[in-house]
Amino acid sequence: MEKISTTCPYCGCGCGLYLHVENNLITGVSPNRMHPVNHGTLCVKGWNCHEFVQHPERLQYPLLRDGSAFRRVSWDEALGVTAAKLTEIKNKYGPDAIGILGSAKCTNEENFVLMKFARAAIGTNNVDHCARLCHSSTVGGLAAAFGSGAMTNSIDEIKDARALFVIGSNTTEQHPMIGMHMLEAKDRGATLIVADPRRTQIAKFSHLHLRQKSGTDVALLNAMMQVIITEGLVDVSFIRQRTENFDAFQQRVLAYTPEVAEKITSVPAGDIRKAARLYASEKRSMLFYSMGITQHITGVDNVRSCANLVMLTAHIGQPMTGLNPLRGQNNVQGACDVGALPDVYSGYQKVADPAARRKFELAWSRPMPDNPGLTLTELIDGAHTGKIRALYIMGENPVISDPDSTHVREALSKLEFLAVQDIFPSDTAEYANVILPAASFAEKDGTYTNTERRVQKIRKAVLPPGEAKPDYEIIAGLAKLMGYPMDYRAAHEIMEEIAILTPSYGGVLHHRLDAGFGLQWPCPDMDHPGTPYLHRKKFTRGMGAFIPVEFIPPAEPTDSEYPFILTTGRSYFHYHTGTMCRRTVTLEREEPECLVEINPADARRLELRSGEPVRISSRRGSIEVKANITAVVPEGIVFLPFHFREAAANLLTVNAVDPNAKIPEFKVCAVAIEPVKRKPGTRQTPGITYKEGMKIGLDLYIPPEEM
Amino acid sequence: MAEQYILNKNHLSFWLRKLKSSRELIAPMRDVSGDIVLSELSRMHETALDGPALMPSPKEYMLPQMEQLFCWSEEGLEEAIRNKPRVLFGIRPCDISALSILDVFYLGKNKDAYYEARRKNTVTISIACNRPDPTCFCLGLGTGPFLKTGFDLQLTDLGDRFLVETGSETGAALVQEVPHIFTVPKPADSEDLYETRLGAQSSFEKRVNLEQVRKRILSGAVKDSLWEWVADRCFECGGCVYNCPVCTCFNVLDRPHAPDSGKRMRIWDTCMFKGFTRMAGGAVPAKDKMLRTKRWFHHKLIHWPDQFGAFGCVGCGRCAISCPGKIDMATVALKIKGTDQGEEK
Amino acid sequence: MATDNIYLPVKTKIEDVQELARDVKLFSIVLPGGFAYQAGQFVMVSVLGAGEVPISITSTPGVSKCLELCVRAVGHVSSAINRLKAGDDILVRGPYGRPFPINGCRDTLFITGGIGIVPLRPLIHQVVNARERSPKKGTVAVVHGSRNPSEVLFMEEVSAWMDKGVNVVLTVDACDIESWKGCTGLVTEHFGKAGVDFKDCTAYLCGPHVMIQAAMRDLSLMGVPDDRIITTLEAHMKCGVGKCGHCYCGGKLICEEGPVFSLEEIKKYNIKPGVDSLAYD
Repeated sequence: MEKISTTCPYCGCGCGLYLHVENNLITGVSPNRMHPVNHGTLCVKGWNCHEFVQHPERLQYPLLRDGSAFRRVSWDEALGVTAAKLTEIKNKYGPDAIGILGSAKCTNEENFVLMKFARAAIGTNNVDHCARLCHSSTVGGLAAAFGSGAMTNSIDEIKDARALFVIGSNTTEQHPMIGMHMLEAKDRGATLIVADPRRTQIAKFSHLHLRQKSGTDVALLNAMMQVIITEGLVDVSFIRQRTENFDAFQQRVLAYTPEVAEKITSVPAGDIRKAARLYASEKRSMLFYSMGITQHITGVDNVRSCANLVMLTAHIGQPMTGLNPLRGQNNVQGACDVGALPDVYSGYQKVADPAARRKFELAWSRPMPDNPGLTLTELIDGAHTGKIRALYIMGENPVISDPDSTHVREALSKLEFLAVQDIFPSDTAEYANVILPAASFAEKDGTYTNTERRVQKIRKAVLPPGEAKPDYEIIAGLAKLMGYPMDYRAAHEIMEEIAILTPSYGGVLHHRLDAGFGLQWPCPDMDHPGTPYLHRKKFTRGMGAFIPVEFIPPAEPTDSEYPFILTTGRSYFHYHTGTMCRRTVTLEREEPECLVEINPADARRLELRSGEPVRISSRRGSIEVKANITAVVPEGIVFLPFHFREAAANLLTVNAVDPNAKIPEFKVCAVAIEPVKRKPGTRQTPGITYKEGMKIGLDLYIPPEEM
Repeated sequence: MAEQYILNKNHLSFWLRKLKSSRELIAPMRDVSGDIVLSELSRMHETALDGPALMPSPKEYMLPQMEQLFCWSEEGLEEAIRNKPRVLFGIRPCDISALSILDVFYLGKNKDAYYEARRKNTVTISIACNRPDPTCFCLGLGTGPFLKTGFDLQLTDLGDRFLVETGSETGAALVQEVPHIFTVPKPADSEDLYETRLGAQSSFEKRVNLEQVRKRILSGAVKDSLWEWVADRCFECGGCVYNCPVCTCFNVLDRPHAPDSGKRMRIWDTCMFKGFTRMAGGAVPAKDKMLRTKRWFHHKLIHWPDQFGAFGCVGCGRCAISCPGKIDMATVALKIKGTDQGEEK
Repeated sequence: MATDNIYLPVKTKIEDVQELARDVKLFSIVLPGGFAYQAGQFVMVSVLGAGEVPISITSTPGVSKCLELCVRAVGHVSSAINRLKAGDDILVRGPYGRPFPINGCRDTLFITGGIGIVPLRPLIHQVVNARERSPKKGTVAVVHGSRNPSEVLFMEEVSAWMDKGVNVVLTVDACDIESWKGCTGLVTEHFGKAGVDFKDCTAYLCGPHVMIQAAMRDLSLMGVPDDRIITTLEAHMKCGVGKCGHCYCGGKLICEEGPVFSLEEIKKYNIKPGVDSLAYD
């Protein structure tokens, strides 16, 4: 048995693990004991991450649509058809009629090649990926405030922090190994404050749990800052030396007294004061946030408020401080870093910046468009309106992951051409003209960048099934057929190109990553050891910018017809659209079906018992699921995981987006809930009639008397 | 009668190469990251015998994380029993103790043919622990840091040489394969052995008396509030069970690769998951996390001794390394002791 | 085929399939060579590709020519079994588990809920046949609860038992047809009609967990000694031979040391029949 050191393909923690390989089969997984993130632990998904790799449903051969079915074809034919179709559409409607979706599950190298394919081979900036749906507000919000949209500090610092403020993150379930560090910090005496409407496990660990109403984070954060300013807990010299625009910000924020915020958020004013004091008065305070902050129409505003808070108290630019967005996917940080975004090249170099554009034009010897492309949500809308004629989707499943599934399905069916490159047949692939089988994380080399900006290797442990190929090989093959040869013999050659074109990845090369546990960017040159925490002496953009933010209520308030707030998210045992985890026996067995969390008080009002089916309806659709009655959710809020295609939460969600980041508001929409009542003692449909059942013997039956 | 030999450390590589010539040689080796893994050894100098407890435990070579039971096709069923000879080199005495417990479980009533084949074809060469990890607590259980029986060969590091003890005929035969590198110990060697062992015994950081904990649980002194505390901190990762050298539970799954062919596999399973007891209709008897965590500890501390006369724990401390919530056996055992003392005061 | 491998099933044939109620089928299977079993035991049945599940044997040892299994399609594997037809191959291994104990009480009371009659059916046959032959005619009673009249299983046999002097009480949860002459309500409401001497009787019961719990409590209150209240428990199992650990409960493995337990043992070992709020169908 051989043990291949690699990186977990699930969440953004980026745990180090070994794949156990025997005769080209993966027989197991074990954690790496020295890894700075997981230290010999793994979560349940990590322990079982090998199983889906050898699942019989893996895509093995290229498939071409033939009427309503698919036909197995050769790679030459599949790529030939794809190249011809894309070329035809490009010639007919222009390159901007084509949209490309990268993947936060694929490697840096693959996303880089894909973005190069979009920009150089096709000539469009219409390239985006699902970071749009999780942390686009972080990228935008923090770029404006600090100049760099990433977790500022490192996971290994958490255990030494004195105060942890976690807002909108179910850390122990969604980033279990970061949750582990938080629990260790708490055990060492740190104060833990959690702001989340749901009483999650991390909230149970906390010293103070603020249960704000969904979508009122700005009011909560502003009120905390009001307390910090009025009680003189601000770091005056930090604000003076390293930030700008404080006065304008201060004027606006002072209106948000805790009492005002209490009315909006329903968090007691006393608790807001307490939280503000606890966070501000410790020297080493770390702030963490995740989807609860970003997935709102005010996503960017929420992020800016968080940034304001850390600058106000100077909790940044030091170890054990900082503003730490927890990225959800294994490589969502990396996919953003290498430029699978419509407005930037790798390293967040703007396409609108002539100097950056010239650099890439020179490197790739093609003229590049200067207008930022369409975002993921705009691409889907574009497909709907006919502006987008073809989509090329690498390793994403927008039918399940994007808001308002019905809208997405309609959009995809209107496309002239859809190519899907994936490891499993997905709901999105049903609409494809061509399906291209890709290699999974265990079957290729490459790098992932975890949430703390750590670029780490993944290593090929087994051969891909059938004719499946690494994504970069598929794209390079396609580009060649479209007249733009990209000859990469291995993933490390792509990384060399990334290093040359990307200042923050300048010193990141595969052979350096092989020794130890990767490098944290910025790592500008070959001798640079990597950067554990950002903004040490000055912010990336120079001065940190205070940006005043006003509270705006969610897009779809509740009303008498739709009286509940629906908030969506992930469960511990499942992951995203379930293509991997639902093909893993242990994970699927834990949560084989979708359950909606409903507060006991609401359940009483609805006369609902645990396990009974309910119909949840929004203005866009309705689904039937079973109820899980639990005090995890507060009254008036219901929670649905979005993993389940048979009860797709995104049939309900609203596709209202943040005006800046275009991130949809997954966390708030209005729904109605109605129990589906079935008569006791009966089944939905009788199988055989009463008569048939009774014809034998019943006539003979004489019931005995009571004795 | 166990025999003792001296093996000069300079001869280790030679011996390992000899062992490898006719068997698969599994030994601890250091990878580039500095972690030590138990894996097939290709370059003899890569072996690392000074590291902490191996993760997962050597159980993975007897009851693999994923193992084929049989495959089926039109021709019928075909068993997949592994008969290749193998040496497990450099495993710890606690691992040997765990194997002895697994032997009782798997080779007693209703013998498990897969385990039996692997076990019979495996030679175990353990190395006594001179420096226990901070998480180790085998001393109080008698499952380490060195053993008298259970192994085929046991090595003890005496600085520039190993003292080799035979524990079985297989072990004695291994020595006879290359008799010229094994010499007879001198009185000084025995003195060194004695001192080394004394040093090992005195360097344990954790002292856990599981018998005492068992008695406390049986006396009813351990309230459910303690198990609630344990359950609240449980991340439901399954790491404690996956890493445990004594845990035996598995799940069985079918993997069809065509309509009439496929294979039946078994994979490690853990009782920490609610799905573990999920029945076909959807009922879950052990739904409460508190019941599940409590059951694991009770199984190891109460029911194993009742059934097999030994704790379902060998004090290897792996659960302490792999538990994100830090509710491992030693921590919980010490907590049980602590709360009781608190109540007595 | 090696027989010393406890996980390897034996291939045999389905002779006949009868649909007893919606989703409930009775399979008559050719007895594999050397297959000897007792009432209360179970077999592991495989459908290759779907998996393996424990199924109670419902044929009477020494009387039935076939191995009879009654399967309700509830899960993935049982649904796959229910799709099999007469003439199809089926894989079984076993028999496993502890059979029902027989003791010398005068009266015998069977309490069954829905498909819970399946494991008790062979024992009822045996007890009824023994009573026929014996000069001492103790009372034998069957209190059988079903969801509705169309789901009363083994109606023909129930009539035959009545002919042989068995006191049968049929009850349904709900009924809206007039010709139903049986009772309505829970089985526990009709113990009084059984006509057995609770002090000198053995009670065998099987059914949904909630029913078992309620019935055990009531029988105990009525004076049946705990060691004579016998039930058979259901659990998720993967191996059936005490290795996989899934059915571990209260320090006992239900597959090896059960599935038949007396109330006395259930109390002693603290075996909790499944309690679950999400289960319903």
